[in-house]
Amino acid sequence: MDYREIVKTSLQVLRRNVMRTSLTMLGIIIGITSVILIVSIGQGAVKFITDELSSFGTDYFQISPGADQFSTLTGSNTLTLDDVEAIKTDPSLTNVNKVIPVSLQAARVTANDEDETVNISGTTTDAPAILRPEILYGEFLSSENNTASEHVAVMGSDASETFFGEDTNPTGERIRINGTPYLVIGVAHFESALAGSVLSNSIFVPINVMFREIQGQERIQEINVSVHNTELINQTIDDIEVLLRDRHDLNEGNENDFRISSAQDILSTVETITSLLTLMIAAISGISLIVGGVGVMNIMLVSVTERTKEIGLLKAIGAKEKDILTQFLIEAVVMTVFGGIIGIILGISGAFVVSSLVGIPFVVSPVAILLAVGVSSLVGIAFGLYPARKAARLSPIDALRYE
Amino acid sequence: MATKIPLIKLEKVTKRYPLADGESYQALNGVSLIVEKGEFVAIMGPSGSGKSTFMHIMGLLDIPSTGKYLLKGKDVKSYTSDELADIRNKDIGFVFQSFNLLSRTTVIKNVERPMMYAGISQEERTKRAMDALRLVQIDNKAENLSNHISGGQIQRVAIARAMVMEPSILLADEPTGNLDTKTSKEIMNHIKDLNKKGTTVILITHEEDIADFAKRIIKIVDGKIVTDRKK
Ligand SMILES: Nc1ncnc2c1ncn2[C@@H]1O[C@H](COP(=O)(O)OP(=O)(O)O)[C@@H](O)[C@H]1O
Ligand SMILES: [Mg+2]
Repeated sequence: MDYREIVKTSLQVLRRNVMRTSLTMLGIIIGITSVILIVSIGQGAVKFITDELSSFGTDYFQISPGADQFSTLTGSNTLTLDDVEAIKTDPSLTNVNKVIPVSLQAARVTANDEDETVNISGTTTDAPAILRPEILYGEFLSSENNTASEHVAVMGSDASETFFGEDTNPTGERIRINGTPYLVIGVAHFESALAGSVLSNSIFVPINVMFREIQGQERIQEINVSVHNTELINQTIDDIEVLLRDRHDLNEGNENDFRISSAQDILSTVETITSLLTLMIAAISGISLIVGGVGVMNIMLVSVTERTKEIGLLKAIGAKEKDILTQFLIEAVVMTVFGGIIGIILGISGAFVVSSLVGIPFVVSPVAILLAVGVSSLVGIAFGLYPARKAARLSPIDALRYE
Repeated sequence: MATKIPLIKLEKVTKRYPLADGESYQALNGVSLIVEKGEFVAIMGPSGSGKSTFMHIMGLLDIPSTGKYLLKGKDVKSYTSDELADIRNKDIGFVFQSFNLLSRTTVIKNVERPMMYAGISQEERTKRAMDALRLVQIDNKAENLSNHISGGQIQRVAIARAMVMEPSILLADEPTGNLDTKTSKEIMNHIKDLNKKGTTVILITHEEDIADFAKRIIKIVDGKIVTDRKK
């Protein structure tokens, strides 16, 4: 069998009826396009989240006050600096690296004749271990700043720009937070796409000062814990849960009055959503492929009827059943694979446009492409088989005499 | 010395076509015939007399309803459809009155087709197809599409294709039926040349001057041989 010759012939046959061929391919094109589009966008989204998480690192987790998400809004205040100290110093928690409490509150800031409401973040000298800032000027908070409750502030790069203008070093300047003066000791910039702009618009002060001067009480919105060994992070989370339940006098029946979430949790949630979505779209495009396949079968049946005399002639000059079967099958497969390739091109272009509009990475999945080519050939074989067999089994004389 | 086995031997062959109303039509009505290797036979008869049916049976495109067909001494009933296809491919060449070529396909690709089914390499196919086209003086049209050449040229290409596998039998069903007298003569001269080189030719026609090219003329009426005359 000369497959090259047969494929060439098939392309010729399909070119004879450009309109018909294109319409027939439509179902395949739509099916493949949507699969490629969704798989690419889904993988782009996962990559976006993964990149985002790894810009902070996956070696940490977060403890928040309250039993659920709403407790933070309603001002739940169940975490204390003593909890922080306990986690830091517990001798059994050997995997714990840094423990960083954060206290958040918006406040009125005046400096350089500017007057703005800015998010103030009270934290400790360890915060850069997780936030990974780029220090543009001066330095981040020191541990002495906290122990001596010094009125010092590190400005986020955008906050610094708001008050002091672009490319200006504000260290040594004074700002007022709720009327109290603070000395600016540094400027920090944050790259992260998700949290970067919030952080860069914040002002960081020692957490003790935050409690006393800005919150008016000891109030912790989150405790970030980084670990030495990421592999053991879940064990560490469990251990801290036990420790905190014990410290908070929670009995068997009582729910946690705090929540622990790790970067891994977020990632696996995103992955679950993405794979669910992919599955759903795969099912929908599966239907589209079946509809496309039935279209291919229909057109192939028409083609067999139209070319009955041709089949008779081919049989007269020595074509065996297998030869005729192969020719029609290849025609069907060429049609569906061609549709598949168009679908791949459309899907990838669509994914490129969507990802650049939404701002997620553009991911081309080689697996999805191979799968698309495989699936479209399979559709061609499955739905081309019946018409091809019908052609192959025509008796030579009936075919030749057909009018 | 063993008795010589005839190339084609038909014994009381009938062909009955079933009709829609449950009746049937008797197209061949007990035909017996022997054709030896190298003969040039013309089969004549009025339209509907069963000439084409006869040729289709001899060409293994159709099977007799009753009777026997021995090709080179072997009953064709014993062949599978693939074996029949193989014999048609290698041992029988066909030229029909019309619809001889694949349209929108080049002349040379048409001639190459039987060789493709025979599993001959592309290189060899091209060479042999060009040789065959040269013999019927149409090699200058090799790359033309078959629907862009004249009727006489089409028949010459059909002869080239029929001969490219060097079959022992050439079956031609009114090959000049659509051609003018001059072109008909040219085509018949090509067929005569093939017969001179040893190919057995069975030619269907209803024109006396075309039949005159043959060395033996058989007349069929109502599915029966009425005369069988050798020159
Ligand atoms: N498949 C068929 N079904 C019914 N009748 C047929 C069929 N094929 C041929 N015939 C009939 O058989 C007769 C002989 O046909 P054919 O062999 O083509 O004659 P010829 O070639 O001599 O004109 C014609 O009357 C034709 O109508
Ligand atoms: Mg006829």
